Amino acid sequence: MTIPTYMGLNTALSGLEAAQAAIDTTGQNIANASTPGYSRQRVNLTERSQLTIPALSSYTGDGSQFGTGVDITSITRIRDTFLDSQYRAQNTTENGDSTSSTILGQVQAGLAEASSTTGLSHALDQFFTDWSTLGASPGNAGAQQAVMGDGANVADQLNTLSGQLTTLQSQVTDQYNTLTDPVNGAVANDANQIAQLNTQIAQAQSAGIDANALEDQRDNVIDDLSQYSNVNVTTQSNGMVNVSLGNAAVAAQNGTADSTPLVNGGSVDLTDNLTDANLSGGGGTLGALLGLHDATTGTGQIDNYMTTLNKVANQLVTTVNGAISGADASGPSATPFFTTTGTTAATIAVNPSLTASSTTPPYTSAEANAVAGLTNGTAQQTYNAFVTQVGSDVKSAQNSQQTAQSLLTAIGNQRQSVSGVSLDEEMTNLIQYQQAYQASARVMSTIDTTIGTLLNMVSAG
Amino acid sequence: MIGRITNQMAAQTTLAGIETSLDRLDTTQQELSTGKRINQPSDDPSGTALTLNLNTQLANLTNYSNQVTDGTGWAQAQSSALTDITNAAQRIQELTTEAANGTQTTADMQASAQEVNQLIDEIKQDANTQYNGQYVFSGSATSTAPYQSGSNDTYGGNSGAVTRTIGPNTTLTVSANLQGVLGNGQSSSDGQLLDTLRTIAGNMQSGNSSGLNANLSSLTTNLNSLTGLAANVGATQDRLQMASSRIQTLQTSDTQVLSNTQDADMASTEINFSTQQAALTAALQAGAHIVQESLMNFLGSSG
Repeated sequence: MTIPTYMGLNTALSGLEAAQAAIDTTGQNIANASTPGYSRQRVNLTERSQLTIPALSSYTGDGSQFGTGVDITSITRIRDTFLDSQYRAQNTTENGDSTSSTILGQVQAGLAEASSTTGLSHALDQFFTDWSTLGASPGNAGAQQAVMGDGANVADQLNTLSGQLTTLQSQVTDQYNTLTDPVNGAVANDANQIAQLNTQIAQAQSAGIDANALEDQRDNVIDDLSQYSNVNVTTQSNGMVNVSLGNAAVAAQNGTADSTPLVNGGSVDLTDNLTDANLSGGGGTLGALLGLHDATTGTGQIDNYMTTLNKVANQLVTTVNGAISGADASGPSATPFFTTTGTTAATIAVNPSLTASSTTPPYTSAEANAVAGLTNGTAQQTYNAFVTQVGSDVKSAQNSQQTAQSLLTAIGNQRQSVSGVSLDEEMTNLIQYQQAYQASARVMSTIDTTIGTLLNMVSAG
Repeated sequence: MIGRITNQMAAQTTLAGIETSLDRLDTTQQELSTGKRINQPSDDPSGTALTLNLNTQLANLTNYSNQVTDGTGWAQAQSSALTDITNAAQRIQELTTEAANGTQTTADMQASAQEVNQLIDEIKQDANTQYNGQYVFSGSATSTAPYQSGSNDTYGGNSGAVTRTIGPNTTLTVSANLQGVLGNGQSSSDGQLLDTLRTIAGNMQSGNSSGLNANLSSLTTNLNSLTGLAANVGATQDRLQMASSRIQTLQTSDTQVLSNTQDADMASTEINFSTQQAALTAALQAGAHIVQESLMNFLGSSG
């Protein structure tokens, strides 16, 4: 047996095909250079199995091996799953911090303590000054009116602050319920998409097809899911992934297998995963929302704020009314300034019987001075500590959000460094593949010429 | 360490840089426009706590200052009333001395009695001096006149104290015990000024010069108590004066601390602003130039 005449043509053809596949893939990479979540692809090539021709070296009888070209084995995505899990963990943290800092920022804005002429602290300062003025001129109708007006202002501000906190609580609950809705919720949507893609990928893999695009899509959806809570991804042999959510995902990362993952191959388990117990304490938007206000237990950061604000109201009512009744002999029979029933921020109110104008001065000088002496007292101290607390909470949420943000960018960059498309690199590859194609074509034309020469000689003879 | 640099990375890094620069510039601009370093509590939580306390302190100081001003006006009203009362009493002393030496006719003495009665009315009017609608000599019953016009000389006020708060836990009594000097008139025969003066008027009317001689010594005692009361009021004025300058000093220092805490340092903020503006411009220029470049720019169209 000798060398097959047209073997060289086939070898050159495989080179042409490989170069073309590489050029096509380069084109795909360039086209998707700015597609979010796209992983660059690479054509994996192997040497085609060799052809042994014994006749070529009859002396030894072993024959010689001839290369027969190149095979395209697969086109794969270049991706580092370790970076994926790091990116998702950071994404969870970043979104949790961002949710907290946004909502706490709203609490802070509601306090309106930025300027020295707005906010409850200013109203309290004025309120106690008015009492002092009333103490100096007890019969003065203007001073009485000022005490009533600024007292009502203090009560209004507390009512408003309490209302703002209640509104924020229901906003938080709404957002949480929307995200975890089992039918249209974002988490349910993501989980269903992952399950669907799992099924499609498994089908493609069993048919021996590369499911690069589907896998990119699935990774994208898992990235999206990671903003809501912690996720943990385990890959199955059939190409499917199991995704755990929340505290179960954290446990899974620490080695405790999750028996009820959110996505288990092609099926989705929402009931076991979308529970307050599984999502609270964890990171992500959902964890942060539960940390701010958990509607079921009525606990959370906003609830703590509400408790402190109620304490301010209660202290104010108790100390002011107490100072009036304890000031002098007529005190115990004096009308309480704040209604005794309203001792929370939502219900504090100036005694309505005072607002009906009376001819006799309602409070003696000693009573007014006793109230004025409460300035910088417990209520104001509690409130000032509250403002400082909110400020520090916002600052620390903002700081950790900024840190998480820059870490997320760094990991995102590392991921991009592995999976992202570099146009310069693709252009370099393009030149290389183009030249490879040209070279294979040249081999083909050379073989053609060679065989043509032989045929011409034969016909000429 | 990052090995490959991709085009998306370059674009995102540039964008993140521009956003950071812009964010810093925004913060600085807010500081410049408000003139404040603390624009919300989270800008400096501990500074906010200090600011809130200082604002309360300043509000209290303003209140103390108002009370001092009010108290000073009150004491001045008392002081001038007491001066008038002293003048009137001294005039009566002169008239009594003249009448007591026995050289005057009954008609002269009766004329003097008329003048004395007028002066008593004047004294009672002075005792009814008001400041800001309040009777300054009525004790704490500031809406009741201490003395009624006419022959009734009974004191109408009470002995309660009127105070002004001039500092933390510092109150100053501004009411003066004029009742202790003027007394309740002849019917009470308490030997105080009004009692003495009515007796003098009576003795003049009846031409009793020896009685007047006896009256002179009680009048001198009464005048001494009056001077003592005026000195008390003077002391109150001094205390108010001192409180006023102390409050002013505190106001100045608190305002300074407040300004140091919450106000932006304009010079350094301005410099930050220009630096950040330059950084932003540089980031924008770099973005405009670098991201566009790729190998394609340098490959010939022929390939």
